[in-house]
Amino acid sequence: MQTAPSQTQSSSKRSCQLLRCFQLLEPSPPCGHISPVSPAWPEAAGDSMTSLRLLSVDPSDRGSQRCRLGPGLMSALGLSLGSPLLVSVPGGSCLCTAWPRSDLAEGFLQMDLKCASPGLISHPPSLLFLDPDQLTPVPCPKLKGVKITVVVQTFDFKKHTPHKLIHELVKDMLKGVCVHEKHVINLEDVDTEIRYVVIESLHPDSASSGLITSKTGVEIIGIQTVRHYRSQQQDQNTVSLGGLEEVSASLREMLQLPLLYPGTLNSLGVSCPRGVLLVGPSGVGKTLLVHKVVGEVGASLVLVVGSRPGESEERLRAVFDRARAAADEGPCVLFLDELDSLCPRRTGSSAPENRLVAQLLTLMDGINQSDRFLIVGATNRPDSLDPALRRPGRFDREVIIGAPTLQQRKAILCVLCVRMPLCPGVDMAELAQRTSGFVGADLSALCREAAMHALRETSKGSGEQLVRMSHFQEALRLVRPSCLRGSLGRTELPPVSLEKIGGLDEVKLKLRQSIEWPMKYPEAFVRLGLSRPRGVLLYGPPGCAKTTLVRAAASSSHCAFLSVSGADLYSPYVGDSEKALAQLFRQARACAPCILFLDEIDSLIGSRSNNQSSGVHTRLLSVLLNEMDGVGLRTLERRGTEKIVQAEGAEETRPQDQLDCQEVCNKEVMVVAATNRPDCLDSALLRPGRLDHIIYVPPPDQQARLAVLKVCMQSMPVAADVCLEELATKSELYSGADLENLCKEAALLALQEENMAASVIKHTHFLQALGKMSPSLTAQQIHKYQTNFR
Amino acid sequence: MSKPEVSSVHQALRKGFKTVESNQQVWRSVLAECDPLMVSLGNLAEQSRALSRIHIANTPLRHFPDLEERLGFKLSLATDTVLLRLHEKMSSLQSVRDAISNQVVLVVQLYEQNTDSLDVLTVTERSPITPSIADMLEWLQDAERHYRQQFLKRKTLLQMLRADNLSLLESAPNRWKSLESPSAEDGITDSLCKVSFFVDSE
Repeated sequence: MQTAPSQTQSSSKRSCQLLRCFQLLEPSPPCGHISPVSPAWPEAAGDSMTSLRLLSVDPSDRGSQRCRLGPGLMSALGLSLGSPLLVSVPGGSCLCTAWPRSDLAEGFLQMDLKCASPGLISHPPSLLFLDPDQLTPVPCPKLKGVKITVVVQTFDFKKHTPHKLIHELVKDMLKGVCVHEKHVINLEDVDTEIRYVVIESLHPDSASSGLITSKTGVEIIGIQTVRHYRSQQQDQNTVSLGGLEEVSASLREMLQLPLLYPGTLNSLGVSCPRGVLLVGPSGVGKTLLVHKVVGEVGASLVLVVGSRPGESEERLRAVFDRARAAADEGPCVLFLDELDSLCPRRTGSSAPENRLVAQLLTLMDGINQSDRFLIVGATNRPDSLDPALRRPGRFDREVIIGAPTLQQRKAILCVLCVRMPLCPGVDMAELAQRTSGFVGADLSALCREAAMHALRETSKGSGEQLVRMSHFQEALRLVRPSCLRGSLGRTELPPVSLEKIGGLDEVKLKLRQSIEWPMKYPEAFVRLGLSRPRGVLLYGPPGCAKTTLVRAAASSSHCAFLSVSGADLYSPYVGDSEKALAQLFRQARACAPCILFLDEIDSLIGSRSNNQSSGVHTRLLSVLLNEMDGVGLRTLERRGTEKIVQAEGAEETRPQDQLDCQEVCNKEVMVVAATNRPDCLDSALLRPGRLDHIIYVPPPDQQARLAVLKVCMQSMPVAADVCLEELATKSELYSGADLENLCKEAALLALQEENMAASVIKHTHFLQALGKMSPSLTAQQIHKYQTNFR
Repeated sequence: MSKPEVSSVHQALRKGFKTVESNQQVWRSVLAECDPLMVSLGNLAEQSRALSRIHIANTPLRHFPDLEERLGFKLSLATDTVLLRLHEKMSSLQSVRDAISNQVVLVVQLYEQNTDSLDVLTVTERSPITPSIADMLEWLQDAERHYRQQFLKRKTLLQMLRADNLSLLESAPNRWKSLESPSAEDGITDSLCKVSFFVDSE
């Protein structure tokens, strides 16, 4: 019969007497099974060197600085009641006083984190097994003095409470506490405004730990708020960021300059910039960048996420007040994420957003020189921001973070893969090359996917856990660039190799020159001052494998491939089609190098010369002409940094490495168009600089037809008597498509004759099929192509 | 119990528990006296609030000269008196705390002087009527910590009050009440019950 807690809780006199009766019956304390006569623990002391299980602290011990261990271990370590003990765990150490567990059990450890290293306060250790070696008794002499930093809950408290009072309270709180240098004393259990005390130094310097008594002098060297203190702590565990060094350096400079050289700026009479607008597509790491820079500088961050309903103006004012208060303690960044939803363009009607925008404008204007905080806004839709926000004095600087370039992608991948067990065969440069158009978020998704593949493989039981290149290739199939997501012409193309296309060797060579070579031999292009062609036009009679050629070329060069048809572009609304085409080009540029394929361009975009073409056609044409060879890029689409622009110049002083060259050559979108009515095209499209290479895809000649037939019959069981040469000779004027059809017809004939039991296709079948069919091309047609466009 | 050190520590522990027991009564009675004071503090704050809301010039009372200032002065005088009496109470609470603290420190010191002869085996030894030294020392320390924290919390609350922050004054009685932690008090009563045989066995 145990003394139940409910019975002991009562405090009345009667229950006290009742309790005495209980104690008479069963007097031993909670764990009566350990008899005091035959102590059970000396045996346990023998195995006290086994590992200790770390349990969470008992609620009644909270704030007592006790560390509960088994009595056996205590005597093994030579500890008495209340002896100071330094417990080191991963991430820091904790100073506590030893105390036997009330149930005297061995093998467990419960410690109160009253005095622990800063890392442990935010991430308390849990579920750990400790080695007894990690417990070290330390001497704790009485201290003559300590220097401390006080961390308080609110800025209000810091501002209004007299220094003397804080000193008095802290001294009372610290009395009787064993402290360790650089540790943090957790005072949350007292539940006042004073949350933590950071021990900066101890007075007899010789001691690294000691006991604070009523005679210890306490000197407060600083008071911080919890928010500021946490933000300073955070910088130790930020992730590194790949490829954004320059942007982050400029942000850091803006944050640090006014703090480091306030006098200089004042004497120059300039006001330092106070607002930065980060612009870039989603997923490039705008938010992460801000968090990182803030962590590095040790600034505190006041965060506003867009689209908050309700009393928005008041909250906005409160946020600015908070930032102002935080700026008194150190650098501070007010970060307005998704600014476009917070401050959309003001419209004529009295929408509530208008008032919010006006409030933000006045608040930003109201910042005076003494407020030293920086406002950072981030958006991926800068056009929908109110234009009044984007002037000097408000958001002074606009930093454009574009989709990462090749080098940046490589840097990002390196950062992402730092903690992944990679197989040495994984080539970051190649991966960076294959991931054109991927932003940081996509790349991290890619790495995650690859790791998942590796994990799945190991769970099947193939031993070592390494992420190999094949895993990345698998992942590449699943993860697509997000800047192409929702894009018009995204097409899944089944990989086709150029060898699958019979004949046309000259055309293939030309295509290789314009698509494959710039990717593979960029340094040669740079050396000869060559630039990649802007556009290629394939023309020729129908059915001669123009589309297949493009598909094969695209899949061989690992470019992003967009294909548009009229159905994608045309819309019943005026101006919509042009917008769609411009958007398409924008997206294609974001993930350059990219091939934009316009099939049947004659029907898509007319010519200005013949008068019957409708208005949409001409407007589309003008968009296309502009996009292909316009005045310049829109500033928003800038990618990479200045360095690359400089590298474009012909006289390089430094040896360029291959990736650099590749970046320079392949930053354009290549337009590939196909048509069988080249005469319908506008002449402005056909000049060099737009569609530079105009390639005639001729109908197959005898040799080519032979090759095509061979390719077509690869999967067909053909009888030995089939003479391909004869078929090739007899199929004059047949196009590639015709030849494919011929093979199909022959196979069907074979099935017809032998009643579904046919196993081979005989020569007679081919001849029969040849007799039934007529070529789709005419000599006259071919003549016209050859004369008009050569 | 054979060793002279053990019995001397036991003696000190007994004394400590007696101190805790007697001071617990004092603590309770002082707190009980504080309650009406806190209520009147809240009342005064409410009155000040009412005064600050009203425009005397718009009422029939406008003919009295300087009425608002005079009332305000009277109220702040009354608040001061109440706060003064609360501070007196705080000093008696402080003496309770100090009495307990001193006693506990004495026991701990006595134990520390004799650590050589009191090994872990001895201090964890329990008997039907005598809890182990470790347990009793723990209970004493817990009680001491409780009173120290209670005192600190209440002192901070009173020190934070400012005449110009009415809402802080108004909420003071409630916050004062919320500082009570019956469970911790019960814990102390509990441990006093557990040692009652030991204390009486002198």
